[in-house]
Amino acid sequence: MTAKVHILLVDDDPAENVILSALMRKVASYAITLDYVETVEGALDFIRSSGVPLDMILMDNRLQPQADFRETVPELRRVGYIGPIGVISSSINDAYFQKIDDYGVDFRIDKAELDPTAIEFILQEYVKRDVSAGE
Amino acid sequence: MPVLNKHYRRYGFESDLEKALNRVDFFRIFHTMALRYGFEHFGVLQLANEHETSMLSSRLVLHDLPAGLAETYDKRHRINDSAIFKSFYKSTISTVWLGTDAPENGAAGVDFLDQIGFDMALAIPVHSIAGTRYVVLFLGDGEDIGRTEHLEIAYEANCAFDYFYRQVLANKAGMGLTPRETEILRWISYGKTASEIALIVSVSEHTVNSHTATILKKLDVVNRTQMVAKAIREQIIQ
Repeated sequence: MTAKVHILLVDDDPAENVILSALMRKVASYAITLDYVETVEGALDFIRSSGVPLDMILMDNRLQPQADFRETVPELRRVGYIGPIGVISSSINDAYFQKIDDYGVDFRIDKAELDPTAIEFILQEYVKRDVSAGE
Repeated sequence: MPVLNKHYRRYGFESDLEKALNRVDFFRIFHTMALRYGFEHFGVLQLANEHETSMLSSRLVLHDLPAGLAETYDKRHRINDSAIFKSFYKSTISTVWLGTDAPENGAAGVDFLDQIGFDMALAIPVHSIAGTRYVVLFLGDGEDIGRTEHLEIAYEANCAFDYFYRQVLANKAGMGLTPRETEILRWISYGKTASEIALIVSVSEHTVNSHTATILKKLDVVNRTQMVAKAIREQIIQ
């Protein structure tokens, strides 16, 4: 039995959706449904309207017109989303990445480090759903 | 974590370690370290008494093995019987294990690498500042590892483990609560549930639960009731 998880990707570059979808298909132990929106507005609408519970939100750090996660993630929290939020960035070295907790972010990951193993680890860590051992 | 002065930090890879905050960050650090040296996976194992029965799955405190692999291993094999596991209690030297020379390293038929399905392992025994023992294990299908790479990865694994222990594993009992933890403690004292606190504080429920676990540890209490009672006694909250 593979556990089903539902993830929302927020990224203004549609190519990232294609790449991440391909990565998600390689994760063997979870059946991942990836939904995709381009903007924070889109994400807010998705959270408000969609009846499906979202297990996780992955979002690009920089999304127009907002500056970075310090502006975007609090908006998602304000509409009542209390699931895990991960921020994807091509560089997580800026000092403000040390303050993710203050802005409601659960984890950060570098684009280059996002591979099927990393996705699997993150799901194990944040989505509490038992994957039965090797069956 | 500005604990270490520059004498501790060498060779330029420490900036990542300085910035690491949570388990995902240390996962990234160990995972990329494994890939950089030609391994596929890593695992950080906590060692207990040699004769205490150990399960691989419950000894792994952080790892990137495929889901279910450690559990499947435990169903079929006993890690205590493997030559590699026994070696941790004979010496603390970092060791390379190759699938083909397993028989000469231990009893016949007790071959951890064959059982878990890799050709090569590197076991780097490490220990925490509290003296507890751990092993950073790298697994892969490489042929061998060169001397320079071996020395480098052993040093890097030691450094990464040191930060991992201090930042994540250490029981920070008796230390002060952070402002965020105090805030969550106050909401708990008002009878709010984890999901309600997540909404109020604008973080995920996961974060609230992990803060709550830290508060339990720091105050050295066993449940939320005792937590609030002690916090009032200690005048952390009114």
